[in-house]
Amino acid sequence: MSGQTKMFGEKAFDLLKELERSSQTIPAFDDDGVRQVLEEIKAIFEENVAQASTYNASGDRSLWPLLNFRHAALQRNKRCLLAYLYERCKRIKALRWEFGPIIPGDIKQALCEPEVTFFNNYSKSLAAYMCSAGYNQGLPIDLTNNLRPPKSLYIEVRCMEDYGKFELDDGEVIHLKKNSQHYLPRAQVESLVRQGILHHIA
Amino acid sequence: MFVQDLRNDFYRQLVGKRILIVVNYDIDAICASRILQALFKYDHMLYTVVPIMGVTGLKRAYGEHQGDVKYVVLVNCGGCVDIVELLQPAEDVTFFICDSHRPLDVCNIYSDRQVCILGDASLEENIPAFETIFYDSDGEDDEEDESSDPEQQHNDSGAGESDQEDEAPRSRKLSRLERHEQRVLKQRARRQWESERDRIMFEYTQFSYYGRSAALMVFELAWKLSKDNMDLLWWAIVGITEQLLLGKIESGSYTLELEQIQSHVSRLTNKTNDQNTMSASKITFENDLHLVLYRHWPVTESMRYSRYSSCQLKLWTLRGEKRLHELLLEMGLPLVHARQTYGAMDLVLRKEFFSMVERLAEKYDIADIVYGTFTLSYGYRSRYAAADYVYALLAIMESVKKHKTPEDCFLEASDALSRQHKQLLSAGIDQAKLLHAAVFRQVQSSLEARQVHSAGSFFYYVLQEEHAFFSYPYALGLLARFLLRGHVATSRARQAPDLPLIASCPLDAAEGMCLLVGVVPVREDSPRNFFGKAFEQAAQKSGVALLQDFFEPAVVQLRQSDLTRFLDALTVLLT
Repeated sequence: MSGQTKMFGEKAFDLLKELERSSQTIPAFDDDGVRQVLEEIKAIFEENVAQASTYNASGDRSLWPLLNFRHAALQRNKRCLLAYLYERCKRIKALRWEFGPIIPGDIKQALCEPEVTFFNNYSKSLAAYMCSAGYNQGLPIDLTNNLRPPKSLYIEVRCMEDYGKFELDDGEVIHLKKNSQHYLPRAQVESLVRQGILHHIA
Repeated sequence: MFVQDLRNDFYRQLVGKRILIVVNYDIDAICASRILQALFKYDHMLYTVVPIMGVTGLKRAYGEHQGDVKYVVLVNCGGCVDIVELLQPAEDVTFFICDSHRPLDVCNIYSDRQVCILGDASLEENIPAFETIFYDSDGEDDEEDESSDPEQQHNDSGAGESDQEDEAPRSRKLSRLERHEQRVLKQRARRQWESERDRIMFEYTQFSYYGRSAALMVFELAWKLSKDNMDLLWWAIVGITEQLLLGKIESGSYTLELEQIQSHVSRLTNKTNDQNTMSASKITFENDLHLVLYRHWPVTESMRYSRYSSCQLKLWTLRGEKRLHELLLEMGLPLVHARQTYGAMDLVLRKEFFSMVERLAEKYDIADIVYGTFTLSYGYRSRYAAADYVYALLAIMESVKKHKTPEDCFLEASDALSRQHKQLLSAGIDQAKLLHAAVFRQVQSSLEARQVHSAGSFFYYVLQEEHAFFSYPYALGLLARFLLRGHVATSRARQAPDLPLIASCPLDAAEGMCLLVGVVPVREDSPRNFFGKAFEQAAQKSGVALLQDFFEPAVVQLRQSDLTRFLDALTVLLT
C-alpha cells in the first residue's frame, strides 16, 4: 500500500512547509492537513498502546526499540502541529499591528473560528494596554502608529485631487489642489495620505 | 530691485517662512525648483510647488494661494511682466523672481521692495535709467497748480482795478506771455521726452533673449550655503544644457560657464569619499558629439535625426544617405554595428567612436559636432550625457495625452530627474526617440514638397493639421529650427542663412486656435529673437487677437482664420 510507504511525520512537515512557502500574509487554515496529522498521531498512539500492553504481558524486549521510535514520531508530530499553530498566531498578532482592530474580509476567510477569537482577545488586551499607557488619563496612545521611527518630521507630498484649504496646527493654511507638491509635517498630513488625497513622494 | 547677495538677501529672508514656488514649464525651471526644494528641505521650510503654463496660469496659481503665503518664488516666469500690476498683491507679499527670460520688465527692476529679482544688476545689459522712463508725476502737478493759481488771481484783480496800476498789469501781461511760452516749451519738452522714452523702451524690449540659467544661479546659492552635492550639481548642469540645446545661450558664454562648472565638479568629486562603483555617482567633463541620444540609439539613426549632422550632410536625400555610408566606411564602422544600438556595439568600436568622428569631422564639414559637456555615471550600466536628460525630459513634458494633463507630465519630468526613477527616464528617452524621428520625417516631407515659403524677410511654414507631436511649443520649436537649417542647406538664395522662420501648427481643431513659433536665423549665434515684439506690433496693425500667454515671447497663439492676415501684416512690418 502506498500509504504504508510514507514515513511518519511527513504530513506534519508538509503542513509547516506550506505555511513557510506561501506568499500571502496568512494562508487559509489547512483543516484537512491538521486533521490528517491528528489521525496519524491517534493511529500511532493506538498501535503503541496495543503493543505496550503485549509488552507488559509478555515482557518481550524486542518490542522496546519499536515502541520508543513510535513515541518519538508522535512527539515530533505534536511539535510540528504546535509550531504551525504558533506561527499562525504570530502572524495574526502582526496583523493587528498592521491593519488595526478590524480584520480585512479576505484575510478573515483564511482564519478558523478559534483564531478569530484569539485575534479579538488579543485586540482587546492591546487596546486595554494602550489605554493604560496614556500619560494623561483618557487619552490613549495609539502604539500602532509609527512602528518604525520616521526618518524626518516632514514629508514631501503630491496632491492627487482637489481638496481645498487645509489648516495646520500652527495656523498656516495650505491650499491643496490637484498636482501641486507640498512639504508638510508628517504627523498632520498622515491621515490625508492614508485617504489617498496626498501621495507621499519617496 | 536686484538681489545680488542671494545668501543674505534671499535665503535668510525665507528661512522659517512658508513659501510658494511657482515654476514655469521648462527644464531649466524644473531643475532650479528641484535644487530649491532640496535646500528648503534641509531647513524644514514648508513649501508648495505649483507648475504653471503662461501668464494666466501664474495669475490663477497666485489667486488660489493668495492670503496664505507671504513669500512667493517665481522660477523662470514673471520677470518680463509687471508683477505688481498683474497680480495686485497685498502690501506684505514679497516676490522673488529667478528668471532667465530677458528683457526684464522695468517696473520689476525699479520696484523698491515687493519685487526682488535674483541676479547681478551689472550683468544686465542696457537697462534704461530710471529718469529716462519714469516721469515724476507729483512734481509736475505742483507746477501746474502754481502756474494756474497766479493766473486766477490776476484775472480777479484785473476785473476790479484795471485802470489804477498801469504798469503792473503790463509786466503781468508780459509774464503771462512768458508763462505761456514756458508752458508750451515744457509741453514740447515733455513730448520730446515721451518720444525719447518710447524709443528707449522699444530698443530695450525689441529683442527677447535669455540670461543665466536659473538652475545654475540657484546651485551657486546652494554652494554658498555649503549644501551642494552631486545631485544638485547635476541638475544645474541639465539646466544649462537645456539652454544650449534650445539655443538660449551663446556658445561663448556656455564655454565660460563650463569652466566654472568644471571646478565645482572636481571639488565635489574630491569631497565625496564614496569609492564604491555601484553606488557612487560620478560626473565627468568630456568632449561629446552633437548627436541626439546616440548612446541609446543606433549610430545611423542618431546621425540622421540630429539637426546638425543631418543638415550638414543633407541626410534626407539619397545623396546624403550615400555620404553617410561613405563617412561610416571611412570611420571603419561596420554597418552591422552602426545599425544596432550603441550599447550593443563592439566595445573597441564604442571606445573609438568619438575619436573616429572627431578625426573626420573636418573633412565632412561637421566640425561643430564636437562640444564640451558632462556625463553622469552611476553603477555599472547607467551612463547619461546631460543632453540625454534634456531630450528625455522635453519628451516627457510634452507627452500630453487624453488622461494625462500637462501637470502630470510636468511632475513626471520632475520625478525623472532623480536617480531613483530610472524607468521614467528610460521611458522618456524612448519617447524622445519617437519625437526626433517624427521631426525628421516632417522635415523630409516638407522639404521635398517645398512647403517652406519665403515672405521676403522671413520664411514661414504652416502645418495644416493637428499633430500628435507638434502641437506643443518645444516640439514645434525643434521642428522649426531643424526645418530652417534644412531649408538653408538646400536653398540657393544667398541671404537664406540670415532669415528667420515662423512655424505654425493648429492646436485644437474645435477651438480653431493655432500655435506660432518664431526662430532666429541660422547664422545668428545669439539667442536674440525679435519676434516677440514683432508679433505684438503686427497684431496691433492687423487687428488680430493674439494670445501672448507663454513666457517665451516668440511663442504665441492666434485664431487659425486670422493667420493669413497676421502673416501679411508681419511681412509689411518687417520689410
